[in-house]
Amino acid sequence: MSIEPEDQTPRPQPEAGNVNGGTPVLPPPVERGRSPMSLFVAAVVAALMLYFGFHMARRAGPTHRSSTVKSSPAPDFTLQSLDGKDMRLSDFRGKAVLLNFWATWCGPCKIEMPWFVELQKEYGPQGFQIVGVAMDDSSKEDIAKFAKDMGVNYPVLIGKEAVGEAYGGVPALPESFFISRDGKIMDKFIGLRGKGEVEDAIKKTLDAQPVTNAADMASASQAQK
Amino acid sequence: MILRRLNLLFCLALLAGAAAAQSDPPLQPVPAGKTPSVSMAPVPLVTAPRAAQTVVKLNFRIGNGFHINSNTPKTEYLIPTALKMDLPTDIILGKIDYPAGQDLTFPFSPDETLSVYTGDFTVAVAVHPLHAVVPGKYVMHGVLRYQACDNAQCFPPKTLPVSFEVKVVKEPPGPRHNPAQSPHVHN
Repeated sequence: MSIEPEDQTPRPQPEAGNVNGGTPVLPPPVERGRSPMSLFVAAVVAALMLYFGFHMARRAGPTHRSSTVKSSPAPDFTLQSLDGKDMRLSDFRGKAVLLNFWATWCGPCKIEMPWFVELQKEYGPQGFQIVGVAMDDSSKEDIAKFAKDMGVNYPVLIGKEAVGEAYGGVPALPESFFISRDGKIMDKFIGLRGKGEVEDAIKKTLDAQPVTNAADMASASQAQK
Repeated sequence: MILRRLNLLFCLALLAGAAAAQSDPPLQPVPAGKTPSVSMAPVPLVTAPRAAQTVVKLNFRIGNGFHINSNTPKTEYLIPTALKMDLPTDIILGKIDYPAGQDLTFPFSPDETLSVYTGDFTVAVAVHPLHAVVPGKYVMHGVLRYQACDNAQCFPPKTLPVSFEVKVVKEPPGPRHNPAQSPHVHN
């Protein structure tokens, strides 16, 4: 015997409407004693609040727990590579780094990997280094097989949640951080971008001049604004 | 008269505010920062006779702009959508029927079709209370594991708690047999 309940797909509830069997519902009487002008002012204020509230919420974007904003120092970490060696981000100080968080189950990550292989070949001699961090539940062997199948020619590290947290939680993949030679985050891409955009960000990161003293830092900060 | 005009102005001001708030449509189908959602519709109480199989349909909805892999994704590393049930003793889990995925291509993978679910989909679960089960209501618990993406990014795998209630009743009486006929012939 089989019982098949009716379609229970969630659907929006019908709006409460006229339930008086077609009798027109009169608008509620305006309270006596309330100034018409105050009603008008309230309407204008409500409209302005709607408008600005909406735009401010959109501009704020996602909130992250860590300060991975442009020009902030890239948090250092130690992670194990696929061949079992401990690697620190600071080991690459002096190079422009593309720190790429990815996973084997992430389709868009798979698309950009061949680009990364080409870009590593092209810009590596100029002091550019891609570092992959696999945020994956798969075994190290599976990650290594995947990376080998994709022809990855840059170090891949086994990610840890704490490192993801330090970089803002990494809520979605792929996520890439462009880090200057002196260890500052120059740019951040969440999600798949075009190869041209990635290449432009690499060039900018390679060209970024290290900020050496407080005065330079202040002028760099002004320039950012 | 003045009141009417002011009421009209009030409505116009609100409409203008709302229209202004909506005048800047998002560039992508899924706004940045929005996370995927998968929800299950409530399941009405299901009556399940003992010693028989009863199919329960679970209806799920995926948030607009997202997709999840089907139960049979085409690529080795993709995480399939899978329901895992943990049923009470003596209620046996039968076959779980997943819908076929839609074969779609995405901007991030134009040359490769992926087998995915979008929008609404239904998973059918068969439950089979054994003869020993005491009639009454039982809650079935489980989880739906899925991994969602939009057109440009993917989100870590998640599990959605799933539960529904089954009212186990006695099996229906079997077909009545005529009592054995007397071999005697009455004349």
